[in-house]
Amino acid sequence: MADLLRTFVMGSLDLLLRVFVIVVPIMVVLELFEGTRPFRSVVRAWARVVRHVGLNERSAAPTLIGFLFGLAYGGGVIVRDIRRHDLGRRQVFIMSTFLSMVHAIAEDSLVFIALGASAFWIVGFRIVWAALVTLALTAVATLVVRRWKA
Amino acid sequence: MEHLGEDPTSARPAATPGPASAAPVPSALSGEPSPQPAPGLGARFRRDLRIGVKAGLQTFWELARVMIPAYGLTLVLERLGVIQWLAQLARPLMALLGLPGDAAVPLMVGYVLNIYAAVGSMQALDLSAQQVTVLAIAILIGHNLLVEGAVLHRAGMNGFAFGALRVVAGLAAAAVADLLMGLF
Repeated sequence: MADLLRTFVMGSLDLLLRVFVIVVPIMVVLELFEGTRPFRSVVRAWARVVRHVGLNERSAAPTLIGFLFGLAYGGGVIVRDIRRHDLGRRQVFIMSTFLSMVHAIAEDSLVFIALGASAFWIVGFRIVWAALVTLALTAVATLVVRRWKA
Repeated sequence: MEHLGEDPTSARPAATPGPASAAPVPSALSGEPSPQPAPGLGARFRRDLRIGVKAGLQTFWELARVMIPAYGLTLVLERLGVIQWLAQLARPLMALLGLPGDAAVPLMVGYVLNIYAAVGSMQALDLSAQQVTVLAIAILIGHNLLVEGAVLHRAGMNGFAFGALRVVAGLAAAAVADLLMGLF
């Protein structure tokens, strides 16, 4: 029992430290550069891609963060943006579904590539799969939940 | 991301000095008070830095609040032997993915714990390149379900439903990939 508690405390500190050193810089960089032209053109280019799974320009930034760094960090930006303005439940659903299927594209994939997995399948196939699952589930959810704002 | 949809030349409200009246124009989208008209570059930097640090700390706290209890639950489940128990249950399913029954262990380790733990337990197995790839797809889609599910829950989604989705869609993706890789 004592060692379980010890593992919990040490593990929690490790987790907190890891989240802290990623989340705070992400938020600062977002705040400093969100309004700048290069940042906006990156987000806009990304928005043109994720438009195909039903995401709008406002959802592009949190989706990009999640896609690159991980679900928890993308989720953090989603929570921040929900706090600032209404993203719409439909958009949050689409983002969550897409990011559930593919996130932390570099870090997570590299771990398995190091183990001998094929990069083509674990990156390329997973992105295609994510898009298909997102489109299918959004279509189903739209039928079920009629009151969603676009 | 306040004014993404608008004219790119109006980078942010502060860029254009307001009309004659110095009254701050409330920003419709963000709840923040509108900045003073045309502050210097340094002042704007300091303001954005302050907002960024505040948003970072707030988000850190919100993530920590849901991740730490989920992590505690994860440790308890691991201690109770839930991972081995789930792996026993999932063993027969592995054949559908072209994997040996033992592959259920890293899969369940990934679901309950995380990717790194799953990779660790994968190294104990003797898998072909295709099997490594197929198992990797299932684990990459579904892992750390409690902690990440807690974050989605915080974003207003059903964390349990998304956990189930990641398991089911991850296994389906692995099965489809196994089939397709067999063809090529």
